[in-house]
Amino acid sequence: MDTTVHTIPIQEAPIALATVDRNFYFLNCSDQWLEEINLGDKNIMGKPIYEVIPNIPAEFTNLLENCLTTGNIQEEELRHLSPEGSSAWYKWRIKPYKTSNNTTVGLIITCLNTTNTKRAKELLRDAENVAKMGGWDLDLITNTVYWSNITKVIHEVPLDYEPNLETGINFYKEGESRKTITKLVHNAIMYGEPWDTELQLITAKGREIWVRTKGKAEFINGKCIRVFGLFQDIDDQKRAEIKSTQIQERLDLATSVAQIGIWEYNVHEDILEWNEQMYELYGVKKEGFKGVYDTWKACVHPDDKARCQQEFDMALAGTQEFKTQFRIIKPDGSIKHIKANAGLFKDTNGNITKMVGTNWDITDQINAQLRLDKNKESFKGSFESSSVGMALVAKDGSWMDVNNSLCLSLGYTRKELLNLTFQDITHPEDLDKDLSHLQPLLDGTGDSYQIEKRYFHKTGRIVYVVLTVTAVKGIEGNLSHFISQIMDITPRIEAKKKSDQFLEITKNQNNSLLNFAHIVSHNLRSHSSNLSMLSNYLLEEEEENERKIIERMIFDASDSLHETVEHLNEVVQITTGAQEQMREVDLNNSIMNVEKNISALLSEKNVECDINIDPKHKVKAVPAYLDSVLLNLFTNSIKYSSPLRKPKITVTSKKMGKNIIVDFKDNGLGINMKRHGKKLFGMYKTFHQHEDAKGIGLFITKNQIEAMDGKIEVESAVDKGTTFRVTLNAE
Amino acid sequence: MAKFKNSCIIDDDPISVFGIKRSMKETNFSDNVVVYTNGQDALDGLTKMIDEGKKLPSIIFLDLNMPIMDGWEFLDDFIKIPNTNTDKVIIFIVSSSMDPRDIIKAKNYNMVNNYILKPILRKDLVRLMSELDIKQP
Repeated sequence: MDTTVHTIPIQEAPIALATVDRNFYFLNCSDQWLEEINLGDKNIMGKPIYEVIPNIPAEFTNLLENCLTTGNIQEEELRHLSPEGSSAWYKWRIKPYKTSNNTTVGLIITCLNTTNTKRAKELLRDAENVAKMGGWDLDLITNTVYWSNITKVIHEVPLDYEPNLETGINFYKEGESRKTITKLVHNAIMYGEPWDTELQLITAKGREIWVRTKGKAEFINGKCIRVFGLFQDIDDQKRAEIKSTQIQERLDLATSVAQIGIWEYNVHEDILEWNEQMYELYGVKKEGFKGVYDTWKACVHPDDKARCQQEFDMALAGTQEFKTQFRIIKPDGSIKHIKANAGLFKDTNGNITKMVGTNWDITDQINAQLRLDKNKESFKGSFESSSVGMALVAKDGSWMDVNNSLCLSLGYTRKELLNLTFQDITHPEDLDKDLSHLQPLLDGTGDSYQIEKRYFHKTGRIVYVVLTVTAVKGIEGNLSHFISQIMDITPRIEAKKKSDQFLEITKNQNNSLLNFAHIVSHNLRSHSSNLSMLSNYLLEEEEENERKIIERMIFDASDSLHETVEHLNEVVQITTGAQEQMREVDLNNSIMNVEKNISALLSEKNVECDINIDPKHKVKAVPAYLDSVLLNLFTNSIKYSSPLRKPKITVTSKKMGKNIIVDFKDNGLGINMKRHGKKLFGMYKTFHQHEDAKGIGLFITKNQIEAMDGKIEVESAVDKGTTFRVTLNAE
Repeated sequence: MAKFKNSCIIDDDPISVFGIKRSMKETNFSDNVVVYTNGQDALDGLTKMIDEGKKLPSIIFLDLNMPIMDGWEFLDDFIKIPNTNTDKVIIFIVSSSMDPRDIIKAKNYNMVNNYILKPILRKDLVRLMSELDIKQP
């Protein structure tokens, strides 16, 4: 052991210093050592170093061994980690202690507790990393540029990258950013102006990012020697900021376009803030606006004020959401309808601090609604009071609503109709027609149609209508229901039927008049011409026998003339004054009477009569005409009976509506209808070789029947028989 | 010798027939006169003549208003008789009808030579003969 070692007053050294032997046992130490290592046990002499220094890391042993073997000074900063996880940093410096023969006999160790500075550095580094903030330095003396690692990372260059002023500046985006940084650096160097600005950078990898650059110059003797500063990646914040600005702009645009007013009310301070649209909505000038609650309240229509106040209070009390409509009066006196919504902002204690809401001008909607209501009302009004039948009909044909006129036309009460469909009361012959017109509306290919159709009145009678159906579409354009206009034209149709009947009668009368004129022309003239001819002959003739013949003929001709005049007179009598003599006649009685009157003739000709008349059948007739008609039909059947058959006459009757139809059927000679059909009822038309055929009977019969508003038709086949069908009025 | 060998009257009115016959006699109109009292009889008679190979009458006086078959129907059926000689027959309608419809209708029948209003007098037949001379020299 070298005694000189003991002579050095190590204990007093102003640094932490200790000596150990080759086996790392403590030989001596300074008081500072004890303090620096912060040992509880101050008595460390003769103890091994591993026992004394807490939490020695493995690298420390290496240091000691290296120092012993190499004989060089070892220097290292090491972290001492306690089992609990807390750590301390020590900066170690170890030097071998040699004897004069250069033999290492021990080690001299100094120690510095760097825990605090180390921590500060680490914190700074962490801060730089977290803030993405790097440093840079431009030395104008050596004209070199230094970038910290973070700065390099931000530029996306390798850590061994060596920048200069030009390359540094060229990273800034060409244009505004590069121009700005050049000017800022120039101004800093020339005038010492510091800067702090946000610019765009294109990284080495070509990414465009936003950075914050901050710099200032250092001057010595009025000369700039250095410019240095901070460099920060603010791309995320900047982009978020830009995005938020865009969103704000978009919102502003949206609210401006949509004319949505936005307001914010600070409850405690009674400050009301409006956006541009609010001023426009209320017609208030921004300059004169006193942003308090009462300013708003003053604009509200007097009739709505109390209610709004109440709703506002309830919203503030949190009992009801602020969602309302009210009117405002603008300075020009016009009234606007406003729809308002609001939400509440609360502080951490749950107290209401702010109310934010929207105002929306719904005057147009309100007016449209009012107009719609008015239209609905007037539609309802005209629907109800229309003299035309109207109905709303569902797609399935059921009545949704019907008006009074329709009820009157159809004879149902509203309640009864609503339980029916239009199909239920449509005349079956018209249903297909109606449905085929309806189909295009159901398919969406048509909008409306108009048809004439028939309904059944509740009493069963037919109601004639002109039906107009219009499809009503919903907002989506789908078929909703139908509006039907149902004009009752029954009176018109009835009138038309009557006028058609009159027309028919008139036509017939005209025909018979014409026929009559023809008869007069022909029949009277044939006799008169005969008379005039015979008279001439008589004048010329001298031979007595011949004169006698001519005179005989003159008598005959004058008899014929007389007869014809009588016939014509008879016809004239029929067509005038028949109506006054019309009365109800028992059909069966009449037929039986006629049959009785000709019973002698019937038995003489061996005629079989089968008369089958419903005793209830009564007809409206002139009794004498009816007898004459029946007599004529009986005698005709007898006269033109077939010699080949036993004559048979069948008389039947049936009721058809208001008419009684009498069929008078025989099995006689029959008539060639093709040949004689047209002139069957003409005057002096005969079709059979019969001595009694004068061609007047059926002519008179037809005239008599028509005078009684009836008609006569005939069906016949030669050698089979003839059926006369007489139609008479029953009531 | 008379103007025509055979004539025919179709008329149901005996007085009218008497008048025509008398006028014919006075004017030496025809050697023979055959009379039918309706269209059907006339049609049957004329058809029989054709069947027996007899010569048809040269001239027919046809009344319109007759029972069984009237003058119009006779005309319709007469055309249909399959014999070439029928179109050589001269037909006069003889009627008391002054109805224009009848006169117009008569003109629609090609075979009808003329429409003569009753009564037929001597002068009618004289004029008729002279007209036929011009047409058939």
